[in-house]
Amino acid sequence: MHEPRSSCYLGAVRNSFLIAVLACAAPFGIIDAQVDTTRPLARPVGVDTSIPKRAALAITEALSINVLVNRVDAWALGADWARASLKSWGRNIRLGWEWDEDGFRTNMFGHPYHGGLYFNAGRSNGLSYWESAPISFLGSWTWEYLGENYRPSLNDFFMTSFGGIALGEMVHRLAATVRDNTAHGGKRTWRELATMPLDPVGGLNRLMRGDWRRLGPNPPEHDPGAFVLRVHLGARFAKGFVIDGLARLPVGVVDLVYGDPFLRPYRAPFDAFNVRAIVSGGSGFNVLRATGRLYGKDMNDRSRRTRHQFAINQRYDYVSNPAQSIGGQSVEFGIYSRWSIGRGDFGIRTSVFGDVILMGAIDAPNTGLGERVYDFGPGAGGRFQLALERRGLRFLTLFLQGEYIHAVSGASADHGVLFGGWELNVPIVRGLGLAIHATNFNRVSHYSDPAANPRTDRRYFPELRILAVWTKFGFSPAQ
Amino acid sequence: MSLAAGSAAQEAPKPAKRQRPHRTGLWAEIAAGPGFMRVARSDNDRVITAPVEGGFLRLGGVISDNVLLSWESAGFNDETFGFGGGDTTVAAEMAFVGVTVLWYPGRTGWFLKGAVGLAQGTFTVPAAAQADTVEGTGIGMSFGGGWDFAISRKYAFTINAAAFVTAIGDLVLPSGRVDDVIGTMYQVSLSFTFR
Repeated sequence: MHEPRSSCYLGAVRNSFLIAVLACAAPFGIIDAQVDTTRPLARPVGVDTSIPKRAALAITEALSINVLVNRVDAWALGADWARASLKSWGRNIRLGWEWDEDGFRTNMFGHPYHGGLYFNAGRSNGLSYWESAPISFLGSWTWEYLGENYRPSLNDFFMTSFGGIALGEMVHRLAATVRDNTAHGGKRTWRELATMPLDPVGGLNRLMRGDWRRLGPNPPEHDPGAFVLRVHLGARFAKGFVIDGLARLPVGVVDLVYGDPFLRPYRAPFDAFNVRAIVSGGSGFNVLRATGRLYGKDMNDRSRRTRHQFAINQRYDYVSNPAQSIGGQSVEFGIYSRWSIGRGDFGIRTSVFGDVILMGAIDAPNTGLGERVYDFGPGAGGRFQLALERRGLRFLTLFLQGEYIHAVSGASADHGVLFGGWELNVPIVRGLGLAIHATNFNRVSHYSDPAANPRTDRRYFPELRILAVWTKFGFSPAQ
Repeated sequence: MSLAAGSAAQEAPKPAKRQRPHRTGLWAEIAAGPGFMRVARSDNDRVITAPVEGGFLRLGGVISDNVLLSWESAGFNDETFGFGGGDTTVAAEMAFVGVTVLWYPGRTGWFLKGAVGLAQGTFTVPAAAQADTVEGTGIGMSFGGGWDFAISRKYAFTINAAAFVTAIGDLVLPSGRVDDVIGTMYQVSLSFTFR
């Protein structure tokens, strides 16, 4: 009854996503993000006002993505699940939502990436973040009911819609920093091509509108005000990746900070976000965590040496390696603070946030029916972070995060996770340096089913990473 | 000629900004109406449908001319529910609490809504000695649309049509385990809105 669905259509896109993230790390992308201090303040941030709003076209494109993906899977790849018909539509509408049995990567990364395509159909047609969000829901809903001959999956709907909004806005802004409407010639074309894996819908819309060649001002998203890009390469030493042993694996870590909550007043969702991606031997692409500011309000005067800001963030988490799988879509509420040290360039930053997990997923050995080995459920938690930094560039970071997930699909269980550690970055010469990351992932799961063995399962996974790091950053005074 | 036209255009009084036809400031909406509930489970394809009565309360504010944000609490009740064929002895209650976004695409009273939050399902099963109550808590979401019909500057009647999805997990009933329960309530309601 619960066969895993094919994820072939997602395979290519998810692999290309990682390549694209790394491609953008090259001198070609973020590094050239220009800080434009001449742009008038009155221009709304977050919407490219040079593009007229085309809501109908955005909706048409989102639905066309579904038709295209469905037909490629049905005709080219021979996927049974894609053979949707009036009969399957009627059955899906009659039976309604269920939980699916797909793999963790498909559900927690592939579907959010797919949702980002819908979302960016809106963003690339002149709609704002909030105006594009319903398109993500519409695309996901129509796919679940009409694009597959399986019953619509509630977890897919959540992950595609909310995850699509988070990843979609992030890649939309990332692509905007790479594209340059003032450039011409081959350099311009290469920039446009480089963003295609990240934001294919936006890239195609630009191509059709002739924006790959047209000269003009850059959209507001091109200028994040401040950015930090760190690319780490080294080794990870992790317990629990292999049974009762210590795994030694090569690892690559990419950190990107786009914007700075204290540099400019809040003007649009995701005007400040950070993202971390990890690729590792043994598990490939295994971490993607992103947090974007949905709303921010200064709590004291912007000229003060000590600053506090209330913020609401949207968070996307995906962690999947041989030892642990956890992810979800969350909204967090809390306070960013910065205490200046000395002349003010150096400072201590803290983040204190509580969060609501709209839908989370965590691996669970006692998961109930079907082939799935992880649970779905809502939850809540909090995190604390303290960092020593200079102009947004962090040298020492201490962090602690706790989350609780109540399973509503899978095992009857409650899961608790505590994740903490420290990260040290030591600059040596010309952007090169060394980094050490030490983390510990603790979890406890309590199963309410008396037949579960064990009823309470406790595990911990310490990890050490020793890395060479290359850093590029930019910073401009507040506008 | 063109100068005169330009001058006239400059001197023409700006049209007064029309009052937003829907809600302003702090607003509240209370609704009731009939619907039906559909309960699905993961361990088989059988779907149970039953009529329900329900209502909701929304308290909200305004984010922009077109977007409103509110807290919403909804409840649905059916005293003649049953998980087994022909069984009508179970009292089922489904509840939803969450954050709702109302989007008014134009300047009419027509809106779309989306909500996400927590859900709870309570099923009271009569037993020989005493009733056995089983509860599940989980994820809720809601989608729908409606229309504000203004009856004065401060009050309106609102017609809503919405679906509430409540995923409440496993239920352990005296008759056995029901796996991964998802209840969906479809409701048409009439509201009184203080706007």
